[in-house]
Amino acid sequence: MEEWKPNPAVKPHKKRSWYLAWKYKLMNQRALRKLCQTGAVLFLLVTVIVNIKLILDTRRAAYEEEEESAQDYDDEMLNVEVPRHPVNNKKVLDVEVYSSRSKVYVAVDGTTVLEDEAREQGRGIHVIVLNQATGHVMAKRVFDTYSPHEDEAMVLFLNMVARGRILIFTIKDEGSFHLKDTAKSVLKSLGSQVAPFLSWRDMWTFVGKKGGEVYGEKHAKSPALSTWGDPVLLKTEVHLTSVEDAECRWPDTELNRRRKRFCSKVEGYGSVCSCKDPTPIEFNPDPLKDNKVFDVPVAVIAGNRPNYLYRMLRSLLSAQGVNPQMITVFIDGYYEEPMDVVELFGLSGIQHTPISIKNARVSQHYKASLTATFNLFPDAKFAVVLEEDLDISVDFFSFLSQSIHLLEEDESLYCISAWNDQGYEHTAEDPSLLYRVETMPGLGWVLRKSLYKDELEPKWPTPEKLWDWDMWMRMPEQRKGRECIIPDISRSYHFGIVGLNMNGYFHEAYFKKHKFNTVPNVQLKNVESLRKDAYETEIHRLLGEAEVLDHSKNPCEDSFVPDTEGKVYVMFIRMEQDADFTTWTQLAKCLHIWDLDVRGNHKGLWRLFRKKNHFLVVGVPASPYSSKKPSSVTPIYMEPPAKEEGAVAVPAVAAAEQT
Amino acid sequence: SLKQHVVRKFLGLISSHNIPVYLIDPLILGLVDKDIEQIRSSDGPSPECKYFCAPRDFTTFALLDKTWKHEVGLFRTAEKMGFQWLKIINKDPRLDGMDDLSGMEIPLHYIFKLASHAIHLVVFYERSGNYLWHGPLRLKQHMDRKFVPFRKLHFGRYPGAYKKPELLHVFIDDLKVQIPKNTSSFLEEMSHSRFLECRYKEARAFFQLYPDDASLDAVEFRIKSKSLLHLAALTLNNLGVKFWLSSGTCLGWYRQCNVIPHSKDVDLGIFIRDYKAEIIPAFQKAGLPLKHKFGKVEDSLELSFQGEEDVKLDIFFFYEEEDYIWNGGTQAKSGKKFKYFFPKFTLCWTEFVELKVHVPCETLQYVEANYGPDWKIPVKVWDWKSSPSNVQDNGVWPVDEWDDVIQIY
Repeated sequence: MEEWKPNPAVKPHKKRSWYLAWKYKLMNQRALRKLCQTGAVLFLLVTVIVNIKLILDTRRAAYEEEEESAQDYDDEMLNVEVPRHPVNNKKVLDVEVYSSRSKVYVAVDGTTVLEDEAREQGRGIHVIVLNQATGHVMAKRVFDTYSPHEDEAMVLFLNMVARGRILIFTIKDEGSFHLKDTAKSVLKSLGSQVAPFLSWRDMWTFVGKKGGEVYGEKHAKSPALSTWGDPVLLKTEVHLTSVEDAECRWPDTELNRRRKRFCSKVEGYGSVCSCKDPTPIEFNPDPLKDNKVFDVPVAVIAGNRPNYLYRMLRSLLSAQGVNPQMITVFIDGYYEEPMDVVELFGLSGIQHTPISIKNARVSQHYKASLTATFNLFPDAKFAVVLEEDLDISVDFFSFLSQSIHLLEEDESLYCISAWNDQGYEHTAEDPSLLYRVETMPGLGWVLRKSLYKDELEPKWPTPEKLWDWDMWMRMPEQRKGRECIIPDISRSYHFGIVGLNMNGYFHEAYFKKHKFNTVPNVQLKNVESLRKDAYETEIHRLLGEAEVLDHSKNPCEDSFVPDTEGKVYVMFIRMEQDADFTTWTQLAKCLHIWDLDVRGNHKGLWRLFRKKNHFLVVGVPASPYSSKKPSSVTPIYMEPPAKEEGAVAVPAVAAAEQT
Repeated sequence: SLKQHVVRKFLGLISSHNIPVYLIDPLILGLVDKDIEQIRSSDGPSPECKYFCAPRDFTTFALLDKTWKHEVGLFRTAEKMGFQWLKIINKDPRLDGMDDLSGMEIPLHYIFKLASHAIHLVVFYERSGNYLWHGPLRLKQHMDRKFVPFRKLHFGRYPGAYKKPELLHVFIDDLKVQIPKNTSSFLEEMSHSRFLECRYKEARAFFQLYPDDASLDAVEFRIKSKSLLHLAALTLNNLGVKFWLSSGTCLGWYRQCNVIPHSKDVDLGIFIRDYKAEIIPAFQKAGLPLKHKFGKVEDSLELSFQGEEDVKLDIFFFYEEEDYIWNGGTQAKSGKKFKYFFPKFTLCWTEFVELKVHVPCETLQYVEANYGPDWKIPVKVWDWKSSPSNVQDNGVWPVDEWDDVIQIY
C-alpha cells in the first residue's frame, strides 16, 4: 500500500472539505491529534477491506463463470454490474489548496488529489495540472526548489504544459531557496502576483489557467528565519470549458486517435500534444538489411518514470531495424501513466503487482518480465533486455545483428551488452571495435534463452533474499567464467537521474560523460576475432604491436601517453593475483573512469583509448599476458589513499549499483 | 452459391491486408481429404463448386497471431465490403501462470458475417512447448447472442492445442487457399485437441498454505525432472506412443503447476493397447537404462528407467475394462501383485514445464482415485502398496513366472 493514491474517478468524498477544515482546526490540539490519526487509519483499513473483498468477489465470479459456461459459450462475468457515475455536467470545480510546513493537500470537488504529510519528503513546490474540460488530474509533480537546478526542471515542465490547462501550485516546507529569477518570472507570467517576492519559508498557494485567468492566490510570509509562514488554505472555483475547446483538431487517423487519448489524459510531454505541429509518434526508421535480430523479443523494464519511458521508447522506435511487434514494456506496479505512454506508441504493455521491497522487488520484476517474454515468444532463442532510463543508439539493432551469432555459437559467452563501463568521452574512440570482458555491464543487453531457462530462472533469488539481480548474475556461481561482448563506444546511454540506486551526484560523476554512438550503420570490425580462441590470437597480436610506455612517468598525467593518434600503447601495473585490483582502482580513479568496482577486464587486461591511441593495461604477474612485459620494466604500483580520506563519499555511493 | 461468394470476398479482404490464413473447416477438409491426390496435383481453378458450396453455416479459417499486426484497417475494409464482424477477446493464458502479471487482453476469435453465411477466424498462438493454442469462445454480457448460431461452431467450445502444421497452397473449386498439408492427420488431431490450462489460481493458493521448497536440492530435482520429462516425451513421441502424466507428476501439475520437489521420480501412464516392444530399446538408446520391469504385457506391466543421478522414470501401463481402468503393481521381494483402480477417463492436452503433454481430462477424479479426498495436503511419506486409496491386493505371481515378471537391473 505504500504507493496508494486516491483515484479521483472512483470515490468522491463529498463531505471531504468540511471534514478537512474541521480536521485541521483540531490538529493544533494535541489530545485530539491521536484520535484523528486513529480515525484516519480505521477509515483507510475499512476502505482497503472493502476493496479487497470486491476484488475477491469479482475474481471468484470470473472463475466460476469459466467453469460453468464451457458448455454454452456464455460469459456471465459481467453480471457484476460496475456502478457507473452519472456524467458530470457540472461546469464549476471547487478547488481547495493547502500549504504548510509539514503538509500540503489539494482537493478538487471534494476529492483529495494530492495529500503529502510525510516527514522529510515532498519539500518544495507541488504542481498539479488539471484538464480544463473534465477536471481530471493530468500531471502531478514536485520540484524541490530548495535545492539547486530543480527550478530549471520546473520551468521546463511548465513550458511543456498546453495553454488552457489549469495549474495548481502549493509549497511544502520550503520552496524559495533556489527559486531563481527565471522561474519566478515564469510564475509571474502565469498570473502570480506573489511569486516574484517569494522568500525563505513562505507558504504559498496559487490556482490559474495557463495563458488565462487567475482563480486565486494566497500567501503567508515567514516572520523570521527560524520559523515558517502560517499555513494557508485557498478555496476557489474553476469554470470548466467544453471538451471540444480542450482538444486539438488533428486529422482523424488511427495515430491521432492514440495521440488524442494520450493528450487528454496526461500533461508534460511537450510537442507530442502540440495542436499546431505535433511531433510524430511513428518513426519508420530504415529497415536493416539481413536483420538477424528482427524476431528477437525486446523486453523494456520500467517502473513509474513515465517521462523516462517516453524518451526511451522514442529512441528505441527510431533505431534502424526495430520491430515494434516484438517489444513488450513491463511496468512494475499498477501505474496508469507509463501504460498511457506505452499505448501512445501502440506497443504492448504488461503490469506487474509489486511483491517485494526495493532491490528484491526490482529483482522479482526482472524475473517475471524475462519469464513472460519467453512465454510470449516461445520460439525466441534470445531476448533483448532494456531499461526505461536508456537512450538507444540508432545502430543498436545493427550492432546486435552483426554480433548475435557469436552468442549462439560460442558457449564461453554470457551476454552481449550495448554498454561499455569504461567507455567515456575521453576513453572510447572506435565505433567498429568490440571487446570481450569478464564483467556483465547490463544497460541494454542480450540474454540467451537457454541460459535463462536452464540456469538462471530455476535459481533466481527468492523475494526474501534482498539481492540485486545484476549483482547476482555477476557472481561466479552464475557467470561460471563466461564473458560478455561489448562495444568500445556504447550503444546505449544511461540518462536516468532519479532511481533506486541513482542520484544527481552519482549520475554526474559516472554516467554523464559516457560516450554514445550516434553514427548509423557502423560496420563492425573483425567480429570473428571475438570468439574465444581467436580473441587470444588477436590480443597477442595487439600486444606484439604495442609500444611500451615510459613507466618512470606518472600514469595519471596526460603526458604519460605521447601526443600521437592511432597507435597502440601498453603499460604494466602491479596485480599480485586474480583478485588484486589495488593499482587498477587507483588508475581508474585518476583516469576518471568507473572505479567503484572492477569492470571491463579480460584476464588481467583492460583496453581503452587515450588521446585517440589504443591503450592497454596489463596486470603483472596475475595476467597471462605478463609474459609480454620486457624484463627492464617494473610494473607500476599505486597506493590506495589513506582511510579517512577515502571514507568521505565513496562508501555510500559504492553501495549504489549500476542498474 | 452464397457460401462460395462469402468465402471469396473474405479471402479478398485478408489478402488485401497481407494476412496469411489457412482453411481448417472440418466439413470442407473432410471432403477435400477424399480427393486429396487430385487436389494436390491440380494447379488451376476448377469451375465446379464441389466443396465450398457444401451445406453449412460457417467456414472456418485459422490465423497465426504473430503473422499480423492487429491493424484496425482490416475491419474498416470489412465493413465497407458489407461484412459485420465480432471480436472475442480474453486474457492471455501465456501470462496466466505468472504471478501478478496483467497484460492486455488478446483476440481469440473473429466472426465475419455476410448475409446468411459467416466466416469463423480462429486465432492461434504459439506457446512454450512448441505448439499452437487457440482459446475458448466465450461471449460477454453485451454481445449479441444471435449474431450467429454459436453452438454450431467447430472451434471454441474448449481451448485446443495443435502441432504447428505444414501448409500447402491448393485450388479448392476456383479459390486458391492454404490448407494443412496432411488433412487427415489434422482432422484426427482436431478430434483430440481439447486443452486444459493449469489451475494457476489454485496453485498459488496452495503455495500460500504450503510455501514452496526453495532449497538447492529442490531446485536441482526440478531441473533434473524437467529434463527427464523432456527426454521421455521426445522418445515416446518419436515412437508415436501416446502417454500422460500419472501419479505424483500428475498431482504436481494439478495441485501446484510444478514438479513436486520431494517426489523423487517422474511418472507416466500409457494404455497397454499403445504398448510397443521398441519402448525399452528406445529409452536405452536415449541414455536411460532399464532399472526394472514388472509384470507382462498381458498383466500388470510396469517399466522403470534410471534417469540422471537418482531421478527415476516410472511408466505404468493401463488396462481398460468395461467400466473402469486399472494398472498393476508388483512387490519384488514377495511377488505380491497390486491393482490400482481408476474411473474411466479421456486424455486432454496441457502444458507442463514447457512441454505439451497429455493429462486425464477428468483430472480431479483421477487424482482423487489415486490420492483420496485429501490430495490437497502434501505428504512426504508415501507407501505405494498401502497409501493409495485405490489399491487392492491382487494375489501373488506364480513362482515359475518370477524370472519373467520380476526383472531388476
